[in-house]
Amino acid sequence: MSKILGIDLGTAITKSASIVNGEPKALENREGSILTPSIIAQTKGGERVVGILAQRQAITNPKNTISAVKRFIGRRFSDPEVQKELKLLPYETREKSDGGVEVKMGDKWYNPIEISSMILQKIKADAKDKLGEDIKNVVITCPANFDDSQRKATIAAGEIAGFNVLRVINEPTAAALAYGFGKKDAQKILVYDFGGGTFDVTILDVSPDVVEVLATGGEAHLGGNDFDQRIIDWILTEFKKEQGIDLLKDALALQRLKEAAEKAKTELSSAMETNINLPFITSGADGPKHLEYKLSRSQFDSMTNDLITRSIDRVKKTLEEIKMDKNEINEVILVGGTTLIPAARDAVKNFFGKEPNKSINPEEVVAIGAAIEAEILTAKEEGRTPEGDIKSVLLLDVLPLSLGIETLGGVSTPMIMKNTTIPTTGSQVFSTAVDNQPSVEINVLQGERSMASDNRSLGKFVLNGIPPAPRGIPQVEVKFDIDANGVLTVTAIDKASNKSQSIKVEGSIGISKEDIEKMKKDAEIHAAEDQKKKESIEVKNIADNLIYQSEKTIKDAGDKVTAEAKKEVEDKISELKKVKDGDNIEDIKKKTEELSQAIQKVGAAMYQATQNQEPKKEEGPEGAPEAETEKE
Amino acid sequence: MKEEQTTEEPNKELEELKQKKEEYFAGWQREKADFLNYKKQEFERLKGTLCIAKESVFEDIVPVLDSFRLAEKAISEEDKNNKSIIGLLMIKKQLQDALKALGLEEIESIGKKFDPNLHEAIEEVEGDKPGTIIEELEKGYLYNGKVIRPSKVKVSK
Repeated sequence: MSKILGIDLGTAITKSASIVNGEPKALENREGSILTPSIIAQTKGGERVVGILAQRQAITNPKNTISAVKRFIGRRFSDPEVQKELKLLPYETREKSDGGVEVKMGDKWYNPIEISSMILQKIKADAKDKLGEDIKNVVITCPANFDDSQRKATIAAGEIAGFNVLRVINEPTAAALAYGFGKKDAQKILVYDFGGGTFDVTILDVSPDVVEVLATGGEAHLGGNDFDQRIIDWILTEFKKEQGIDLLKDALALQRLKEAAEKAKTELSSAMETNINLPFITSGADGPKHLEYKLSRSQFDSMTNDLITRSIDRVKKTLEEIKMDKNEINEVILVGGTTLIPAARDAVKNFFGKEPNKSINPEEVVAIGAAIEAEILTAKEEGRTPEGDIKSVLLLDVLPLSLGIETLGGVSTPMIMKNTTIPTTGSQVFSTAVDNQPSVEINVLQGERSMASDNRSLGKFVLNGIPPAPRGIPQVEVKFDIDANGVLTVTAIDKASNKSQSIKVEGSIGISKEDIEKMKKDAEIHAAEDQKKKESIEVKNIADNLIYQSEKTIKDAGDKVTAEAKKEVEDKISELKKVKDGDNIEDIKKKTEELSQAIQKVGAAMYQATQNQEPKKEEGPEGAPEAETEKE
Repeated sequence: MKEEQTTEEPNKELEELKQKKEEYFAGWQREKADFLNYKKQEFERLKGTLCIAKESVFEDIVPVLDSFRLAEKAISEEDKNNKSIIGLLMIKKQLQDALKALGLEEIESIGKKFDPNLHEAIEEVEGDKPGTIIEELEKGYLYNGKVIRPSKVKVSK
């Protein structure tokens, strides 16, 4: 089974995704980012660098740093649009003998296909690092308006990089595939792609067999960068107004401001307000200057409102071109990082009157769709099921409800939690609740409630013959075992005498779905009050235990403690005894704490005067035999 | 004939059962191995997650250190002996030491040859040794050999 890649080869940024453990996942490059700048450079030292490294050295080496070649791939040099773009470039270009474009890097001339293949080579090497194997099969995406020659050039770039290019698909189509649209019925899908530098809208007719592009439109220079710039401009103006200093002239200040603006924009996607805080941004005649502004989401929205309106106008125009009504669109998909801005999402939602698809990260959705397509094609080639579609032959059930036993005070103590995959076992050691308790009763429970009486009892049994011992000393191990058929065996063993008793519950695990749902719902509804009940019992159990321990300590201590200290403890014991069966939990807690402190004082005094310990004597209240939660 | 059949049948069944046993046993072993491997992978993943968590904390805290550095630069000669300012600079040192103890390393830059693996060029200026870093505008950091942030530098033409 060979691993595959889906590659979103962008003008500015390239992304890739694969199928990892049955799930499509965007891959990080060696530098730890999902985004690889589509930039190549030959450094002054003659070394070739790709991606973020090329970007970092760009300013020192503009002539040999090649970016945005996607604009020329498979196009003619004489094309007026190409000519327009070429004028903006810092690097040298010329017409190739076949009429295409060539770019100069170092002393050599390259065609855009070669440059693109260098980006793809990095993607290949980084993916090998991540996935642990060499990748052959890939699907690469391109804009919907790419013509045949541009597509062929994209394939060639992939093959030069050493890939087997299964197919080149449209970016919006990949997004639709990522969401699994058109699998059953034909659907009209609008892809709203708002990236860092460009805006694209595509209308697709997706059906199980064909994906048809009905219309495309876009704005070549409208993107997230414009939103950042608005924040920067606003701060520059405000700062100048307040401090009389133009930050534009300070390279470092501007750099810090750019980063802060982008961070503010990102933060406003989740927060309603953000602080732009840049201490010591510059210095004036009267010392250092600090920059501190608050930016609210509504302020930001009004600053950038026209940018979003432009994108929506473009959507309207594109619909008009094919005389389609917006109500005919079945699904809207959001692509590109700028769609993370809440105002952009809201504008799309309000225009179409329906929620757009945005659950897949809009920056990764194209690469993910390409990866899904690559996996489907590769699986077909290899005659296997696509990864992620495989249903395990070995179907293992999970436990629908928790299983447990009843412990002191009628509390339900879980032994195996719900949703555990079976077969499985679980065991825990319990002890006795009273001195010389000869037996324990095991009440096997099913359900999520805190109190035993609210859960379903699957069966009960008694383990007899526990040798006489003070409470808390005997060790009774309770073991739950569920086999693959859902048959539950509960065994209790007294570790001292090795006596054991067990019960088998058949078929009882698989109760009807309705019952399971009802029990789960009940548990949710009663969660708070159950918790309170359980807590109150726990508090009472602690109080009980402390009374027992304190009485025992006082008795064992004999005359080693002063009558005064003894009296204090005895008073506290009787105070606690008075309240412990009541309902005032806070009071019980308080009195327990007081007794605890009193007995600690006695303990400390005894410790100081310590000599030989007298043999222990047992004493305790009689009570119903019950297991006590004393985990080992 | 009859006798042969009766010995052949149980043999055949035995063979089938043996084969099944082998198959199940192998499946069981494989499952167990898968689980152990999963545990190992999970452990590695946890370590990776820890690193990533640290990295993101570093990314957020490093700008605070930047501000401290800028503040330090802006202190005037007469303020340098002010006790409060000395105290504040000690806080900077404390923060620096804490980050260092967590594994954050500073990238050296001034006087070094520009290397895009570690440095980001902000400006190119006239200088004696071309390709050498003349000024550091913002400190860069490494954690576990990975660049948390490249140093922002001015490079000699």
